[in-house]
Amino acid sequence: MSQPVVEIEDLHVALGRREILHGVTCRLGVSGSGRAIGLLGPNGAGKSTLIRTLLGFHRPSRGSARVLGFDCHRQRRQVLERIGYMPETDSFIASMTGVEFLRVMGALSGLPEEIALEKAHETLFHVGLGEARYRTLGTYSLGMRQMARLAQAIVHGPELVILDEPTNGLDPSARRRMLDLIRQMKEEHGMSVIVCSHLLADVEQVCDEAVILRDGAVVHHADLEAERRANRRFVELEVEGDDSALGAALGQRGAACVRETAGRWRIVLPPDFDLRALWALAAAQGLGVRRLTQRRDTLEEIFMKAMGLLRQTPGEAAAGEEVGIRGDL
Amino acid sequence: MAIYKRGYQRYAGPRASRAARLAVLVRDAWRRATAQRLVTVLLAASCVWPLLCAFFIYIANHAELWAGMDRGLASILSIDHQFMLTFMKVQAVFSVILAALAGPGLVSPDLANQGLPLYFSRPVSRLDYVVARLAALAGLLSLVTWVPGLALFFMQVSMAQPGWLAANWRLGPGLAAGFWLWIAMVGLVAVACSAYVRWRLIAGALVLGYFFVLSGIGAVINGIFRVEWGDLINPLRASYGVWCALLGAPMPAGLTLPMSLAALALMGALLALVLERRLRPV
Repeated sequence: MSQPVVEIEDLHVALGRREILHGVTCRLGVSGSGRAIGLLGPNGAGKSTLIRTLLGFHRPSRGSARVLGFDCHRQRRQVLERIGYMPETDSFIASMTGVEFLRVMGALSGLPEEIALEKAHETLFHVGLGEARYRTLGTYSLGMRQMARLAQAIVHGPELVILDEPTNGLDPSARRRMLDLIRQMKEEHGMSVIVCSHLLADVEQVCDEAVILRDGAVVHHADLEAERRANRRFVELEVEGDDSALGAALGQRGAACVRETAGRWRIVLPPDFDLRALWALAAAQGLGVRRLTQRRDTLEEIFMKAMGLLRQTPGEAAAGEEVGIRGDL
Repeated sequence: MAIYKRGYQRYAGPRASRAARLAVLVRDAWRRATAQRLVTVLLAASCVWPLLCAFFIYIANHAELWAGMDRGLASILSIDHQFMLTFMKVQAVFSVILAALAGPGLVSPDLANQGLPLYFSRPVSRLDYVVARLAALAGLLSLVTWVPGLALFFMQVSMAQPGWLAANWRLGPGLAAGFWLWIAMVGLVAVACSAYVRWRLIAGALVLGYFFVLSGIGAVINGIFRVEWGDLINPLRASYGVWCALLGAPMPAGLTLPMSLAALALMGALLALVLERRLRPV
């Protein structure tokens, strides 16, 4: 097994007298580089504090955090040489042109001077700011500044990029472009990416893992990539006719199912199950299919469960138990 | 291949040293400090007094030019510690105005645009950041303080009678050391004020206020309580005490070298504390 990108052990971080992170323990990016990790949680869960601790901005009161094998506090310089950070806030240096900004940021990250200038141009074209690279950052729109912040995070070719709310305030096309760039970063350039976002759909689209924080502790760690690979498919089926033998027939074919009411079924199909066989099975039993909805547990459902707002995800419920939603939802 | 055709490639070559990164910070700070046209104008204006002093030195060392004139003129034009202290006081005022103009642009914009996380998420420490800003400011202030001061000293050495250097050798090193102490103080004040407020104009006013208001308060304390230690909260006065000791001049009334040094050290510590509290990535 390769070295995890981030390894956190019983991490406690206090800001003033208030403890924000209470014993966070997790290993992210265990299967190597080129993966995107989503960091999720409601406001005040400790996401930003965790990121800032990884960057060495906060000192752990207990425990340890290692990034790419280096301790975030004791080996801060080595860590910062290897990572790129895109802050959530609208951070920029107004008096600089795009290319000057990236040249300075690249050189501060350790790029030799002449390389820094070359990479500044290259990166600005990459994020779509090539034509605006000689304009001062103060004249950029919010979306352009967001792209410039992404560019400064990757100009020096880091091994790990930490993106704090990368799609905040972007219009749909810019958001799509940002997500494409994140995908390229991991797939084409082999960078590991940590995406901290409130937008579950964004994380679901680009991330291979998701860590959910609540009240300063990790409450769930989902390997989204493994779930996609497992292809555990969840189907909602509505039929007409006598369906009393359907459950047994599905069970014989390896599917787990639950009959909600007469004619309404929730089924988890095995990985090699062809959907056409389900139609054939219904036809063989003389059942008319009124509705067939294929879906799997969404990240939102996983998130809701981790937050305690959902007792089980629909997939889990379909596997044997009923779906229950708390009254306060 | 044209860059726009090449596409993004991750850099995997050797990294620059820490010194090279610090040099980048200093250059960036220098560019900001000298960006204003008014700074250039003030730099030019601050050359007037050194040129006048150079003229005095020339006159003082060419007796034939004032032969037959009143003998009292000779004592006025003598190049000694008093001459150098007067030069230092005038240039110190110029340096304060220069710092008030150039200093706020060094940190305030980073605070206003939340740029600090961009620096501190790189292998750049808060100390590196402050040292780079101070270095740029020190470079600028040097142009109006010890550089013309030493030029005058060496001009006098080259023109004076052979015995002058033996009698006044302390003036050169004393002037340089005194100005470096002053630059450190002015630089710290300018960077701390710049870190304290986000608006450049107000930060500039704060720098001027620090020096001129404190000197006023010092004078008021002296007047009301009929004491002389009020001068210690006046940074220019406290520095003047140190300059006198360095140049071998008699100390001003009510000041001693340890008291002046202690007052400056206390001011420096307070300013460093302001920087420590204000310059944080989050």
